Amino acid sequence: MAIPSPYVLRETGSNLVRNIVMTVAAVVTMAVSLTALGGVLIMRQAVNQATVQYQHGVEMIIFMQATASQQEISGMHQELVSMVPSQINRCFYVDKAQAWSEFKQIFSGEPDMVKVMDVQKMPPSFRCVPARAQSVSVLAAKFQQQAGVLDVKYPGQAIKEELARFATLRNVALVVAGGVMLGAIALVVNTIQLAIFARRREVAVMKLVGATNWFIRVPFMLEGLTEGLVGAVIAFAVTYFARNTLASFTGSNPFIPSLPLYVSPHAALLTGVFVVVVGALVGALGSGFAVRRFLSV
Amino acid sequence: MIRFDRVSKTYKGTVAALRDVTVDIRRGEFVFIVGPSGSGKTTFLRLITKEERADEGEIWVAGKEVGELPPWKVPYLRRNIGCVFQDYRLLPDRSVYDNVAFALEVIGRSRHFVRSQVPQILELVGLGGKMDRKPNELSGGEQQRVAVARAFVNRPLILLADEPTGNLDPATTAGIMRLLERINQYGTTVVMATHQHDVVDAMRKRVIELDHGTVVRDQARGIYGMVDA
Ligand SMILES: Nc1ncnc2c1ncn2[C@@H]1O[C@H](COP(=O)(O)OP(=O)(O)OP(=O)(O)O)[C@@H](O)[C@H]1O
Ligand SMILES: [Mg+2]
Repeated sequence: MAIPSPYVLRETGSNLVRNIVMTVAAVVTMAVSLTALGGVLIMRQAVNQATVQYQHGVEMIIFMQATASQQEISGMHQELVSMVPSQINRCFYVDKAQAWSEFKQIFSGEPDMVKVMDVQKMPPSFRCVPARAQSVSVLAAKFQQQAGVLDVKYPGQAIKEELARFATLRNVALVVAGGVMLGAIALVVNTIQLAIFARRREVAVMKLVGATNWFIRVPFMLEGLTEGLVGAVIAFAVTYFARNTLASFTGSNPFIPSLPLYVSPHAALLTGVFVVVVGALVGALGSGFAVRRFLSV
Repeated sequence: MIRFDRVSKTYKGTVAALRDVTVDIRRGEFVFIVGPSGSGKTTFLRLITKEERADEGEIWVAGKEVGELPPWKVPYLRRNIGCVFQDYRLLPDRSVYDNVAFALEVIGRSRHFVRSQVPQILELVGLGGKMDRKPNELSGGEQQRVAVARAFVNRPLILLADEPTGNLDPATTAGIMRLLERINQYGTTVVMATHQHDVVDAMRKRVIELDHGTVVRDQARGIYGMVDA
């Protein structure tokens, strides 16, 4: 396949402009479909990121207030120790410094957020594995009342809820993405068909004088590819800037109780690359199909 | 240059368009294909460019057997063949210059080549002064000259013309015929299908007559309707 020549680029451009209404329709539906797809991926990342905090069997986190006194913390510590092994299997303590480094890691892409926080504002926490999973809500209610406690999360349950909510959202979004994608493909095929029809005289002359099949097809295929790419870039922009809103649909942040679920720009960028690749592929395949179907050689 | 060897062609659901045709056209010849409507003239030409496939027999064009050519090589075959039609087939929204340049651009010729060849060829067909006109600003004869220029600009080995003067008055026809003769003198093999008696009679070139798809006459320096030389 030849490198796109000025001819090919000019033809692609004029094809796109000739049928502006259809082109816009194709691009917009492509964008809607890919936004739904991107949204699913963003939410999945948010949920994954949340569940990462609850590895090693941790099922309950007791967040102490950032202002909790040393006595309050060591009191809590002793109480927890006294409950081992009958009620609690094991616990470990995450102090302010550790919490701060964890926070900085998670929010590494968001320097503004890191700037307004500091190590003194971090809540220290105890991360515990209860002896029996069923007793976790009773334990949580008990610790919730104690002095110096900010919040008690027992994410086993929170995560179950989050995962359930995510699953529903995901299924709805995937159905939307799939259905709208079918429409987008139909529109891409249709714009290419119209472009081929509008240029049937040129195509006939090209065949007559011995232009290669690729030379004839490439402008039409580039047109479909462009529609897919532009739709994908719009979808990417929407999901990127709305990523934290999308994340918050699945629940609040079980790690820092006062913060929503969070997706780093880096992770959102990867999603964007994926969405753009899907858009380009769908555009290219749709126009490839149209070219095979309507551009007999 | 062009050889048909026992070629037959039948379109779906019709009687044979060509039947057992054997013809040998040498480099540099000027040949008329004559015969009544439906006798197979256009089919004969479309087989040469592989726009249609023969059912039987072999067709050799510029040393290649056309039936054996893989599809991707067909465009390269066509670069050796210029085509002219009764209805000109110009691009209405492009100027005379651009119509001719288009034929070179789409086979990947360089800008430099296009800029040097197009004015030269338009001068040859007598349209040097009308390069910026659109086809609808030209007479029929002038439009056909543009079509001839487009067919010839890549200096093909073969020029096929399917009733190129069918829409033109006698004086204009004579002009086009002089042009085709001139192209023939440059060494290009010219094959022209027509059913205009006067055109054939005036030129005294080789005549191949078809009737119901069979060659009924192949005569050097013939006229349209004569049975004996
Ligand atoms: N695409 C096609 N499909 C089916 N039949 C065809 C097709 N093209 C030509 N034919 C038939 O093949 C026969 C030969 O047609 P062809 O066009 O070669 O004749 P022709 O000599 O060029 O006629 P004319 O002088 O009218 O142009 C005719 O019977 C015609 O009906
Ligand atoms: Mg005909």
